Amino acid sequence: MSDAALIPARLTPTPVRTIAAKDIRDALRDRFILIVTAFLGLAALVALVTGAIALRSDVATYEAAKATLLALGKSADAIKAPEFYPLRLLRGAIEQIEIIGAAIAILIGYRSAASERGRQTLALMLTRPMRRWQFVAGKALAGIGLLAGGLALVLGGLTLVLHFMSGIGLGADDLLRIAVVWGVAVAYTACFFLVSFILSLHMKQPSHALLVAFAVWLTLVLIAPQIGDTLDPDNQVAGGVFKQLNIAKPDQVEIMKGFATFETVRGGIEQASVTKHFERFTFAVLGIKATYAGMPLGPILTEMRGNLIWIFLTALGLIAIALALPLNPDRLAKA
Amino acid sequence: MSEPLIRLDRLTQSFDGVTAVDALSMDIEKGEIFGFLGHNGAGKTTTIQMLTTLARPASGTATVAGYDINKDPLEVRRRIGYVPENVRLYDTLTAAENLVFFARLSGVDAPARRVRQVLELLDCTYLADKRVGGFSKGMRQRVGLAQAILHDPAVLFLDEPTSGLDPMGIKMLRDLVMRLNTEFGMTIFMNTHLISEIAKTCTSIAVLSHGKLVFHDRIDAVTARYGDDAALEELYLSLTPVGRLAEVA
Repeated sequence: MSDAALIPARLTPTPVRTIAAKDIRDALRDRFILIVTAFLGLAALVALVTGAIALRSDVATYEAAKATLLALGKSADAIKAPEFYPLRLLRGAIEQIEIIGAAIAILIGYRSAASERGRQTLALMLTRPMRRWQFVAGKALAGIGLLAGGLALVLGGLTLVLHFMSGIGLGADDLLRIAVVWGVAVAYTACFFLVSFILSLHMKQPSHALLVAFAVWLTLVLIAPQIGDTLDPDNQVAGGVFKQLNIAKPDQVEIMKGFATFETVRGGIEQASVTKHFERFTFAVLGIKATYAGMPLGPILTEMRGNLIWIFLTALGLIAIALALPLNPDRLAKA
Repeated sequence: MSEPLIRLDRLTQSFDGVTAVDALSMDIEKGEIFGFLGHNGAGKTTTIQMLTTLARPASGTATVAGYDINKDPLEVRRRIGYVPENVRLYDTLTAAENLVFFARLSGVDAPARRVRQVLELLDCTYLADKRVGGFSKGMRQRVGLAQAILHDPAVLFLDEPTSGLDPMGIKMLRDLVMRLNTEFGMTIFMNTHLISEIAKTCTSIAVLSHGKLVFHDRIDAVTARYGDDAALEELYLSLTPVGRLAEVA
């Protein structure tokens, strides 16, 4: 009996699946992905532990203050106990995914395209009875699959650490929130993978493509969100200008009308960064942003759907570009 | 008379305004081992890229095994095998894993079994479970040839197959090519620089110079007219720019 006869028709390997499976095996054998995933995991773990230590310090300070008050025969009601939302401890990990995760995605995208260029394997593939979009789709599927696997390992590992470290354990709602964050993190990092993959596949020199991809990363991950934050008029004084000056909300609105153009530009810069959308979404879902702490997941998803749509549309748009751009075999045969 | 297996009809390609292949027309019959000679940059690889559907011609067309390269590229690809110059394959995968991958892409029914058959045919089963990363040039070329014949193609395109091989490797490759031609009836289209190989292997030759076809004939006719390898070399040099320069000097 042939191999094909043993495989149900719906599972018969298509070129897309065949290329994706080969790419994943190739990448894992290379150990590059394992090393960078371990690096991301370590960075996220350090961030988690740092957060936990800070929380423990807050709790210790509170306990000491409470003990002092009680020793003096006074009520401890005057001091507020530190709030404990275990998912908030993932803040550092989210920031690592935002920055390092995106950088790793760029490296995977570069590797995915550059590995075919110059070693003539692309020519071998493109002379097989398959369509060229299938090659691109297979490579993209593998890259996104690797990111999904890596992020699952990192977030899964952190969840376990968190579960045992927090003492109170994580409930089904917490696990669902982490799963939602994982899905969005895959889409977010996929954007950077695709930018790097497209550039490395189509630019004359893949090494130049890597530089351009990191310039995009620098702009979207580090510069644009910072511009958005630092140019916010209300952020010019610690605690907020309006709050410090006790300006009422209607007056704030009236004042801000005078900055309408400025705010449009600032908002535009901030909105252009997929990183900012990822941060807003994940900070809300995990309750890292105080406004959303303790809020049920449903309303958060409704309120944050704009950020979600932006991230997924960016990823889908980049997939469409990757599939639509014609391949240049002559260029791809050169390293 | 039957249709030729490969027919080029004013096949043209240009890059940035420079014509790389200029209205190339010729026929190659089924069962031939065709040697395509030409200086570096003559347009040989560009011609192969068009015939293997890797690149679309600027104008003109060609048919391979009865299918038009512009209209039916998928059908052409089902019937061809291609070995580029300097095959590298995937270093982290074993020879068998590389071959199963290409067999699947070629739509081979039982990839693992077919890979074993081909490795036996090429007398290199000992390479199956070794990672390609540690292979010599000759070993890579063998695996490269194996990937090209997994789906039993009607035409095998070889681009400078002996480039960088030692004399032993060249002989091994020559024997394999002859076997594929005589035992399995594969038509071979081979770009090469080596005139001695052409004389030993090919049944017909053509010479390309600056994208133009300057010579095309059966090898028996050529050897009858020009005699031994040395005379063949003289003929080639007289048709190429290097040869003409030598005459001027």
